[in-house]
Order: sequence, then structure tokens, then C-alpha cells
Amino acid sequence: MAHITINQYLQQVYEALDNHEGSFCAELLSFKHPHVANPRLQLPNPEDKCQQVLEPPYDEMVAAHLRCTSAAANHDFIEAYKFQTLVAEQQLLKKGKGQPGDMLEKAAEQLMSCFRVCASDNRAGLDDSKKWGMLFLINQLFKIYFKINKLHLCKPLIRAIDSSTLKDEYSMAQRVTYKYYVGRKAMFDSDFKPAEECLSFSFQHCHRSSQKNKRMILIYLLPVKMLLGHMPTLQLLRKYDLMQFADVTKAVREGNLLLLTEALARHETFFIRCGIFLILEKLKIITYRNLFKTVYQLLRSHQLPLEAFLVCLRMMKVDGLDLDEVQCLLANLIYMGHIKGYISHQHQKLVVSKQNPFPPLSSVS
Amino acid sequence: MAAKATQATPATNWSYGASPDGQAHENPEWEKARQALASITKSQGSNKAPPANRTPAEVKCDDPPPVPGLDDQSSNYPPQAQPPAPAIPQPPPSPTNLEKPPLPPSIPPLPNSQYPPAPAQSAYNGPNSMPYQSVDPNHMRVYNHNQGRSNYGQGFHAQNPYQQHQQQQQQQQQGQYGQGLGRGGDVNKNKNNQKPVGQQLWHRMKQSPAAGAVKFNIPKRPYVMTGPNLPPVEQPSGLNLSPGSPAGANTASGAAPMRPQDWPQAMKEYVQRCFTACETEDDKDRTEKVLKEVLQDRLKDGSAYTIDWNREALPELKAKQSRWEAVPSQRTLDSAISRGGRGGGGHRLGHYRNVFSQRSPSSSSSRSSSRSPSPSHSRHRDRSQRHRRSDSGSQSDSSISSDLRPQLSRRQKGGRGRGGDRERGRGGGERGRGRGKANRGRRNADDGNAGVGGKKRKGGNAGLDFHDPMREAKKQSRAQRFHKQLRSEPLVLSINSLDLPNGTQEGLSWEDCPIVGTCQDITKIYLRLTCAPDPATVRPVHVLRKSIQAVKLHWKTHHDYTYACEQMKSIRQDLTVQGVRTEFTVEVYECHARIALEKGDHEEFNQCQTQLKALYKDNPSENLGEFTAYRLLYYIFTKNSGDLTTELVYLTPALREDSCVSHALSLRAAWALGNYNRFFKLYLCAPRMASYLIDKFLDRERKIALRAMLKTFRPDLPVQNVQSALGFTCLDTCLAYLAGLGVTYYPSDPSKIDCKASSAAVAAS
Repeated sequence: MAHITINQYLQQVYEALDNHEGSFCAELLSFKHPHVANPRLQLPNPEDKCQQVLEPPYDEMVAAHLRCTSAAANHDFIEAYKFQTLVAEQQLLKKGKGQPGDMLEKAAEQLMSCFRVCASDNRAGLDDSKKWGMLFLINQLFKIYFKINKLHLCKPLIRAIDSSTLKDEYSMAQRVTYKYYVGRKAMFDSDFKPAEECLSFSFQHCHRSSQKNKRMILIYLLPVKMLLGHMPTLQLLRKYDLMQFADVTKAVREGNLLLLTEALARHETFFIRCGIFLILEKLKIITYRNLFKTVYQLLRSHQLPLEAFLVCLRMMKVDGLDLDEVQCLLANLIYMGHIKGYISHQHQKLVVSKQNPFPPLSSVS
Repeated sequence: MAAKATQATPATNWSYGASPDGQAHENPEWEKARQALASITKSQGSNKAPPANRTPAEVKCDDPPPVPGLDDQSSNYPPQAQPPAPAIPQPPPSPTNLEKPPLPPSIPPLPNSQYPPAPAQSAYNGPNSMPYQSVDPNHMRVYNHNQGRSNYGQGFHAQNPYQQHQQQQQQQQQGQYGQGLGRGGDVNKNKNNQKPVGQQLWHRMKQSPAAGAVKFNIPKRPYVMTGPNLPPVEQPSGLNLSPGSPAGANTASGAAPMRPQDWPQAMKEYVQRCFTACETEDDKDRTEKVLKEVLQDRLKDGSAYTIDWNREALPELKAKQSRWEAVPSQRTLDSAISRGGRGGGGHRLGHYRNVFSQRSPSSSSSRSSSRSPSPSHSRHRDRSQRHRRSDSGSQSDSSISSDLRPQLSRRQKGGRGRGGDRERGRGGGERGRGRGKANRGRRNADDGNAGVGGKKRKGGNAGLDFHDPMREAKKQSRAQRFHKQLRSEPLVLSINSLDLPNGTQEGLSWEDCPIVGTCQDITKIYLRLTCAPDPATVRPVHVLRKSIQAVKLHWKTHHDYTYACEQMKSIRQDLTVQGVRTEFTVEVYECHARIALEKGDHEEFNQCQTQLKALYKDNPSENLGEFTAYRLLYYIFTKNSGDLTTELVYLTPALREDSCVSHALSLRAAWALGNYNRFFKLYLCAPRMASYLIDKFLDRERKIALRAMLKTFRPDLPVQNVQSALGFTCLDTCLAYLAGLGVTYYPSDPSKIDCKASSAAVAAS
């Protein structure tokens, strides 16, 4: 494969098309395939040859592909055979190498038009309906939208899949990717429960050999799980090289606000780049809860003086704190259901419920 | 679409100006037909669609098959290869399509129930009764021709050269055929004389109500039914089933029975099946069109009465329209090939089968095979079918029927009479192929083959070169499927010029072709640009500097935001138009952003700050921190955590030190954690104009905070406390705010809020 001639290559493409060997054809058009490195295929002007062997629109596609190889562009063409319009996208992406920013949006546009074609394919039978291509395209679109921070554009896509009858029958790989993005979106929308479901699905079904993908999923699954009260084990963090979370986990579990602040600061760049800094920041609330729970356990009383919280917060070096702010923090926890109880302003005391004053995190929110 | 079709038909031929409906009514015969049909249809009234559906259907049914490639194909074909055109007139099939024969019992689940059992008869009894009754066979031929023509015209408006070319070809061929073939003369005559009538007929057909009705009556089905799989229905075979038709049909070319009710029952059922298999309206349209043509031919040549309709393969329904038409071209070849040995007879039918039999042999893969059928495979199929067919059918019949497919393709070019039509169609197919290749400059070998093949086909051993034709056909089918013309020029990748169309719009940014304004007015009304700017109305920068001073002054003295905003927008526009992106631009945007902020116009503000973000890259401003802070606050306002995160990524440590930015960051942290106490403290010490921005979401946050407080504190909470926590600077505004939310106080001590009672009120508000 690595050193076939152009004619052999084109013949292969032709036969693949002819025999409906979609995946093979996709390989032949994929940049991950070794043929890309074949100097014999790297023609600057492959049009004539392609035209001789292949029919439109494939000749154009393949020609574009071959020119891309010579231009060393890079795009994954899996299932490209289904979407002749991807030619355009390929061309776009090729151009886009130079100036990625704008081109991403244009690529998204192209993908979107492909998507529309696929989504509106009501005629073809189930077996080879273009609808099978929807999820792939959606995943690509997600990828772009997440990159250019246009998450609101994902909504119609999600709706399209939700209403699709095929949604559970796409290939697992596609579904894992899809759920990953949907989970991430839900997380950013602070819908942690659905986010957890999606990401868990994604993590559990992700192929075991795709460690990198599993790690990526974990990066988002961990904060969500922690917010919902499930702390990851050190073992897991080690396995996936996510030790950045180790201190965070520990701090949250212990209610060690100081450590949490430190840990967040230390890995701030990493967390921000992953887009989870703001999510992890919300762990502070959980940490407050755990801290206050410790106070409650130490004092062994249902009437807890606010002073006690002030002291412990000062110990955690929370700056600029006063009783009002303590009240505020407590009010928030009570409001969110993390603490069952009330504050008596008159007595400056927190009165907690005698039963289960700190309900388990998983039962809250 | 109907309108389009009308235009497409040569106006000169339109001798009967009357409206189709009118014509229909004038047909007394038709009344009978309708009644007859009604009796048929009554049995399955449930299938009828409400008459309201008719209109779209009618319109649609005239849609020309947009099959570009096929046209070309119809002319080069060696005429001799064609069987003589059967001049035997047949009742026009189309009406038949439209009626509903009883459903074949064998048809699996018909979701009829979904369809309202609409007034079954209305489709037929209605005002639009179909005019076919009166049409004589010649008309029919003409009809074919004209329809094809008009279709062609429609489909290929842009390709006049082709059209001309083809017409020439057609004429040529007709000449050829006219001589050699027994009925050619007839054909020609028809062509020459009957055109107008045919057209008229065609138009009437277009209007036929039944067409519409039927089309919409057909329940959609998910899967295509392939003919062979259908168990035979009541009638064992299609031989002369229908009452009274065959004699006339087979003998006289003049007096064929046109009545729909005369059509073979099996055929009606077949039609029914075809429509039943349609999934979408488009499918139905296509089916209708194809059937109309096919059946017409069938009826005309009499094969309708001999074919075993029960075993006919359904037309390929899943395909897009193009696919139908694509297939014919390919089939054309096949039939041509097959014809070789057999003379015109055998394959007409065989051919016809081919038309629809793409899917027929049962294969589950039939659909995909149509996409790019492997040549050998389909050829084989064709062959075998042909054999079968010719065995069962009478020679003449089958020969006639073989015409159906080409007819489709021919139609596009504008067929003439029948014989000519057919011949031309085939010849055209060849020619087109050859030409397409030539145009494309592709596969010279193929060209050679095609040429040779044509001749060979004539001689009967064309099978040798089947491969190329198949490819060509596939190519065309694909092209049609995607509604693309086959490439008429050698492929040239436009990769490098791909963005030109867009590029000319987008890429031609203002910087690329700067204009310099000449307008000297200090003020200018803002109008959204809808065309290229006129330098005479654009102010150059030095004037704009005066303008902005004037606007600032006006704003300070009058505080007229509408005026200020308009002026600022027009200044911005002038800057944009001239491609000015300098510090002055930054100043303008900052100024406008501030004014917008002050008036709480966050849309305008957002426009400005977005621009500023881009402008700051080239024009660092001392206000960078300030506006970065505003942007952060704005994201808090819109709760856009995604953008917020991105913004955090790009915050340099130096920028974080900025007093505005750090304030915004702490405010954000407080906001994120619901630390309202700190949040409102920060609000009270907001730098510059940040408080204007925070004002936008102040109420929102206050409400949340208040809810939390009211839920937390028991039994009471001093108002004083609320006031400080929520950042009210004076008690009165706080009280007013609380009153607005329906907070209640203890009667004994009005300075204390009754938390429990208020909580419910605030939660509800």
C-alpha cells in the first residue's frame, strides 16, 4: 500500500466505491492511512488521472485528497464516502491550515450543510440512509463548536439526535464521542446530573485501549462526580495521569479549604485550559460543607455558634472574613440543601437539624 | 412548477387556450370514466386523500425530470438498432395511474389508517375530471413528445446549446428512422401534426385531479416493494385482463380505448403498488411521472394487456428522481445490447423490465446496486429478465415495452413521435455518452468503445463493451442523484480558488480596498449600508475627530442617547468602511461603549466591546484593563461560563494586576460561590463604570441572595442586615425593594422581616 502507483490507488478507490466497501474507501481517503506518505501519490495535479478512473463527484474528492496529500494537509475522512460534499470541506480545511481561526467556522458551515443533507435524507432505506452519517458530522461539529466556544450551536444538534430513531444504533465509538460532548455541554450549563450520566456512559463504553480518550473523559467526569459527592481514588488518578486532581480531591474530602485553594492555584493553567476551573471552583462549596460538618462533629451540638465557623475559616486563611460573610456562606449551604437547619440571627447561632444535618452530597441537588 | 412547465412548452403549439379544467368538463366521455373509476375506487375509499391535496400534486407532476446527462445520450445511437416504433395507439396510461385499483392483498402493512378516509370519490368526481377520454392515440404520442420537450426545456434552461444540438440530432435521426422503419412515417406525421394537441393534452393531464389525489392517497411505506416479491394478485396473469381494451389497442392505431376503466385490473393494481411503495411525496411525484410515461407507452402499444402486471417490478422508489432516470440510460444500453440478437421484439419488454427491475431480482442489495451497480451483475440480471420476459410476452408487446425506459430519458430532450422517440432516445444515449466523454476529455478508450459499442449493438453483439456504458450510466445516475451535471470540462480542482466566491464578499474586507471619504459633515445620520459605500457620504478621519467631539459634547449637555448612539454608529460605520483601525477607532469604540453602558444599552455595548477586543490586539490602549473587566462582567451578566473560562485563559498576570480586572475577578469568584455578601461589597466599590454593568444583573443576584437569606434565618431577620448584605446604600431603597418582592415584617417590630412568611412570597415572585 505504501508504494502503489497512482493508477493502482485509483483503481482501489474505484473498486471500493463499486463494491460499497465504505470503510476501506474511507481509509483510502483518510490521512491516517499510510498511503498518504506515498510520494507517488503526492501529485500536485491529480485531476486528470482521477477523472479517468472515477466518476464525479468522486473524482473531485479523490483529486482533492491527493492534492492534499501533496500539501500535507490533515483531515480524517472516515465516512467521507458518504458525503460527497466533504470535498469542499477538505478543500476548506486544506486552506484552513494557514489561518485556523476563521476556517474553523467555515468548516463548521460546510459540515453543517453536510449535516443538513444527511438529516433530510428520508428516502433512503435504513441500511444506507445518510442519516447514519449524522452522528459523525455532529461530533465533528461539536469538536469545532467547543473549540470556537459556540456551545449554543450544539443545542439543535443534540435535539436532532435525541429525536432520531437511530440514536442508540450508531456505532459505539460515535456514541461515546457524542456523549462526551453532550456531557461536557451539560456540565458547562451546570446540569450536573445529566452531565454525569453522559460522561459516565462515555467513560464506561470508551474502548479500553483508548486511554487518551478515557483520560479526556475523566477530566470532565471527575469534577462532575466530585460535585455530586463521588471522590475519585488515588489509583484512578494515577492510572490516567491526572494527579492534578489528587490534592483537589483530598482537600474537598477533608474540607481543607486551604489546600483546595492551593491546589487550584497550582494547577490553574491546566484546569483553565481544560475549561474546568470554574467547575472545580464550585467544589469550594462542597469543601465548606465538609469543613462545617467537621465543626459540627467536633462541637457535638445542634446549636453551633457562628463564631466557631469564623474561627475555622480564618484558620483556612480565608481573607477578609467577618460574621456576615459566615452567615452568607451558611445561608448558601442551607439554601442549596447541604445543611439542614437555620440561623438564629438573634443568638448568632446555627441550629442544625437533629437528624441528618449534613445530608449526603449525592442526595442534594 | 406548473407555471414553469407551461412556459417551457412552445407557446406556438398551444392551440387550445382553454383552461384544463374547462376542457375536462367538456369531455362527456370522461364522466363515464369517472364513474367507472369511482366504482373501482370505492372499494378502497380509505386510500383517498382529501381533495385539498390535489393542488400540490398537480403541480408537482409536471416537474421535469432534471436529468441532465441523459439528454445527451439519446442521439448518437445507431438507429438501426432500434426496433420500429409501434404506432399502435394505446389508451393513455396516466389516468390509470391515478386510480386506485383494489389493493393487492399481498401488500404488507399498509398504514392506511393514518390517512383520513377522505372523500374517496371527490378526486374523481370533482371539478377536475380528467380529460383523457377524448384523446386519440396520436395525441398520446404527441403528448409524449411534447412532454418530453417541455421537460427538457425546463430542465435545461441554461443549456441552450445542448438543446439545439439535440434537436438537430433528433431531426436527423428521425429522418433516418422514418425511412427504414415501417412506422416511422407514422411517427413523423404524428410528430408534425399532433404536437399542439398533444401539448394540450399534456396540460390537461397536468391538471388531472386524480393524479394529485392518488399521489397523496398512497400511504407511505418505509420500504420499496419489489415487484417480483409480490405474490400475484387476483388476476393470474396480465393477459388481456381489462375489459374491451386489447382489441382496439392492438389493432388500430387510431381508436385505442382510452378509458381508465378499460385498463387492465392488474395494471391498476400495479400502479397502486407503485404508489404504495412510495415513501415520500417526492417519491410519489417521481413514481407518478415515471408511471405516467411508462404506462402510457404500455397502453399505447398494447403490452399493457399482456404483461403480467402482478409480476412487474416496481419502479425504483428509493432512488431520487434522478435515479430513475439514470437507470434508463444504463438500461437503454442493455436493451440495445440485447436487441442485437433478437430484433426489436424481445426486448422491449425486457427492457421495460429493466427499467424497473433495478431492484427486482429480489436482492436486498438492489438499492445499493443501483448506486453503482457492478456492471456484470446488472447486465446479467437484465439478460435473464429479458429471457423470461420474452418467453412469456408476445413479441410485439415486449418490443414495445422495451421502449419505456428510454422514453424517460428521451423525454428530456424532447421526443417526437413514438418511433422517432425511441430511436432517438437510444441513439441519443449513445451520443451523449460519447460526447460527455469527449467533453470531459476522459477515458479515451471508453470513447472508442462507446462508438464501437454503438455499432456493435446494432449488429447485436454489443455485449462486449457493456462495461463502459455501465460506468457511464452509473456516472450519470450519480450525477443525477446529486443533481449535478456531469462535468462538461476536465476536472480542475478549485482548491486554491475555492473561497473566491466567499472571498470576494468576506475576504474583500474593508482593509483591502479602502475608500477615503470626502464628506465634510460633522454629523451624519446612521443608515445601515446595503451597498458599496459612496465616498461622498463617508467622512474622513479628521472630520470624524470633530464629529466625536461634537457627539461627546452633545451627550454631556443633552444626554440624548438616541442621538448619541446614532451618531456614534455612523462614525463607527465610516471608520469601518474606510478600514481605519487605529487608536482613534479604539477611542470611538470606547466612547460608545461607555455611553451605551451608562444608558444600560448592553447590546450596543457588547458590539463595542467585541470590537474593542479585536482592536486592542493592534492598538494597545490604557483602557485595556478596564474593558477586559467589563467583558468579564458582561459574561457574568450573560452567565456565559464558557466564554468566561476562555477569557480567564487569556488573562496575563499583568492584566490580572489591573485594578479593574482584579475587581472583576473577585466579583466573579464571589458570584460563582454565591457569596452575596462579598459580591455586594464589591459592587459598592466597583471601579469606573463597572457598576453600570453590574446593575444589569444586580437585581437577579439580589433576589437569589434574598431567597437564601430568607430561607436561612429564623425566625426573623433585621432589615438592617438585609440592607448591608444586599449592598443597599440607604434603607429606603432597600425597603422599597423588599416591598416590591412582597416581603412582610413582624407587626410587633417592623424592623424585622418575617422570614418564613416572606420566603414564600419571594420564592413566588
